[in-house]
Amino acid sequence: MSHVTEIIHQYLRHNKKFPHVFCPGCGHGIVLGSLIRSVHELGLPKDDVAVVAGIGCSGRIAAYVDFNTIHSTHGRALTFATGVKMSNPKLHVICIMGDGDATAIGGNHLIHAARRNVSITALVLNNNIYGMTGGQCSPTTPEGASAMTTPYGQLEKAFDMVELGRAAGANYVARGSVFQANMLERFIRTAIERPGFGLVEILSPCYTQFGRKNHFKTPVDMYRWLKENAVPRESWEKMTEEKRRGRIPVGEFAINDAPGLEQRYAEMAARLKEEAER
Amino acid sequence: MPETSVNILVGGEAGQGLVTIGEFMAKALVRSGYEIHVTQDYMSRVRGGHNTFAIRTGPDPIWAPVEDVDILVALDQETIDLHKSQLTGQGVVIADEAFDVGDLPALSVPFKELAPKPIFRNVAALGVLASTICHDIEDLEQLLTKTFGKKGDEVVEQNLEVLRAAYNWRKEQDFVVECMPPSLVDVGPEGSGRLMMQGNQAIALGALAAGCNFCPFYPMTPSTSIPLALSALGRDLGVVVEQVEDEISAMNMALGASFAGAKAMVATSGGGFALMCEGVSLAGMTETPIVIALIQRPGPATGLPTRTEQADLNLALYAGHGEFPRAILTPGTVEECFELAHKAFDLAERSQSPVFILSDQYLADSYRSVAPFDLNAYPQIEGPLLEADPYYVRHALVPNGVSPRVVPGTSKALVVLDSDEHTPDGHITEDLDVRIRMNNKRLKKAKVLARDMFQPVRYEDEDPERLLVCWGTTLGAAREAARLLTSLGERTGVLHFQQVWPLVPEQFMSALEGAREVVFVEGNATGQLAALIRQQTGFVAHKQVLRYDGLPFTARYIATAVEQSE
Repeated sequence: MSHVTEIIHQYLRHNKKFPHVFCPGCGHGIVLGSLIRSVHELGLPKDDVAVVAGIGCSGRIAAYVDFNTIHSTHGRALTFATGVKMSNPKLHVICIMGDGDATAIGGNHLIHAARRNVSITALVLNNNIYGMTGGQCSPTTPEGASAMTTPYGQLEKAFDMVELGRAAGANYVARGSVFQANMLERFIRTAIERPGFGLVEILSPCYTQFGRKNHFKTPVDMYRWLKENAVPRESWEKMTEEKRRGRIPVGEFAINDAPGLEQRYAEMAARLKEEAER
Repeated sequence: MPETSVNILVGGEAGQGLVTIGEFMAKALVRSGYEIHVTQDYMSRVRGGHNTFAIRTGPDPIWAPVEDVDILVALDQETIDLHKSQLTGQGVVIADEAFDVGDLPALSVPFKELAPKPIFRNVAALGVLASTICHDIEDLEQLLTKTFGKKGDEVVEQNLEVLRAAYNWRKEQDFVVECMPPSLVDVGPEGSGRLMMQGNQAIALGALAAGCNFCPFYPMTPSTSIPLALSALGRDLGVVVEQVEDEISAMNMALGASFAGAKAMVATSGGGFALMCEGVSLAGMTETPIVIALIQRPGPATGLPTRTEQADLNLALYAGHGEFPRAILTPGTVEECFELAHKAFDLAERSQSPVFILSDQYLADSYRSVAPFDLNAYPQIEGPLLEADPYYVRHALVPNGVSPRVVPGTSKALVVLDSDEHTPDGHITEDLDVRIRMNNKRLKKAKVLARDMFQPVRYEDEDPERLLVCWGTTLGAAREAARLLTSLGERTGVLHFQQVWPLVPEQFMSALEGAREVVFVEGNATGQLAALIRQQTGFVAHKQVLRYDGLPFTARYIATAVEQSE
């Protein structure tokens, strides 16, 4: 067993749920590995980590990791997580959501969690589709793409989660892909480590529900697509409009140090207490 | 019914300061040991419109509002026009001399002379009003000094001057007033020691007494005064009160906090609660304690935002998909708001279930005079466990269904929750035998709730021919109606439900079967409690008195409806 696999095994609930639910070619297992390696690298005790997951394929990740976990309801993971963090700020709270989970039904919560800048790590596993419910389009399904509910092609523009998170005020905003696992691990680690809201969008292919309907012959083609088209932010910025078309930038898009909501709250409480005692 | 009470109605446009007059007068009356019963009727707008602040006061307990007005303080002509028909034989109008009072007995006040600036007019009106009910001016002087103290001596002095001028002006008028009998409470130099409190304030205080420390909310009339009261005390008591993006967020955030060990409450009204229903179901599935203060207003949809109704019993009862236990507490008085809010946290924790406090705008905004609560009489509420062994199982199958609840992050215990059906250790499952076992386990907790519920309480005649059955805030009017109806010839009693779910028929069937005529009195159009009792017991109400015009019940409303249907 390789060293990396050994680490991962320390954090899995071996008696639970294996074999896992993910389809062949799914990127979510890579995210699971990256998450575990990030927590391990940071040396966080398992009992101090709370994973709050939404509903969908990505939400199932919670069932495999040996942290305190909540498999909550569709779209509401961030709100539940905010309650956990405000109630016990010493917990490292990590939210795992899908693209539909975080930007459709939970879109309002995503905006406001970022605005509040509460210290939560939000991992949004973007596979451009509702996988578990059978391949309906999501707010991140690219324009023109086929989905069960867009048989003639998606007419609507896709959400740019990075722009959304940055505009809403998240301290840390990054986009990674499961093809660039080391980079992804670094982003997740940074998001956990830093104060305030950390949003990491993760491009994670779904061959079964998206790839097959959109001219990818095998799952490998989807990873090849990521390799060619998920370009580092620095290169992307130098590209012409024409070259940018069909590509997507990955990297870190916001890195700020504003204190998290829970810290601002504690400071305010201390200040008010001092004033009252004076 | 107390014959000694005086009903003061202060009316005017929003923004004219009528609430200031009302609150000062009410506070002064409470300090002097009088009973008060305030009903606020306001329109859903910031300026203009027609609003009233009614204070019914006297030395004896007062339980409900009345239609009759003894003193009408009119800050605009509309108040006179709208309410003159309510004026009693001994009634008097206090109004600016410029207003047309017709041939009504009136004190036409030269406000321009008494108050140098329009801003002092409400203090002038207060002076005339206090003098009209023979209230000691020193009492009001102390109150004004205390309230305006922060604004500096000059402001205090100006206000006191206007108050005295107005008070003395009334005394010089050739107008005989009948003073209220003295109060029955011993009043020391610091006042009666009683508190002027609204239903919602009492809910907030009861919650705090129970240890509430987390209340995320989205503003919605008439519930917002609960988080406001919590945040006013938050500095000293360490309560997180967070205004969030919507009620969905509020509910789920509260559940997250509760999961992590906080004593969490949400407060909302019907429309906001509709958004919370999904979260109620999550609480049921994950067995997370949550207290929900649902302060009703008339619906459907936006309805009448600032008026009252009791039409969300069914909503609370059936909120959330799937089947799981819950309790619904329905306070009838300000004191019960405190007591039931405290109890709600206890029940929520002991049953790991959602517990509702169902009140409404009428009681939410109604000030009463209450004796200070004896906090020692309220036991400390047990919280979740902080310690467990590493083999801890969150939803262990135990005989009463209530598995020990451990907070994550405080021990080596792994705490796992799932909104999907799960095994006892919290992991998702589609094993259908497990499903049945877990569903049964959760439903078993209903017995824990039923064993420890508030029994319906009988008031007035203990062996009546006619029984008025009511729940929640209708209690006061029903009691006064029972006395009125008894005085009119038929012995009438009251059965009040301060908890409408779960129902334990043995607790009330003999009362229902013992009366010749059973009349359900409810603030809704369809008789929701009557229907629920029929569903649960087969008992059919003989009569129903329903009100859904947005106003609270009065004794006269109930008595007239009962008599008319004879």
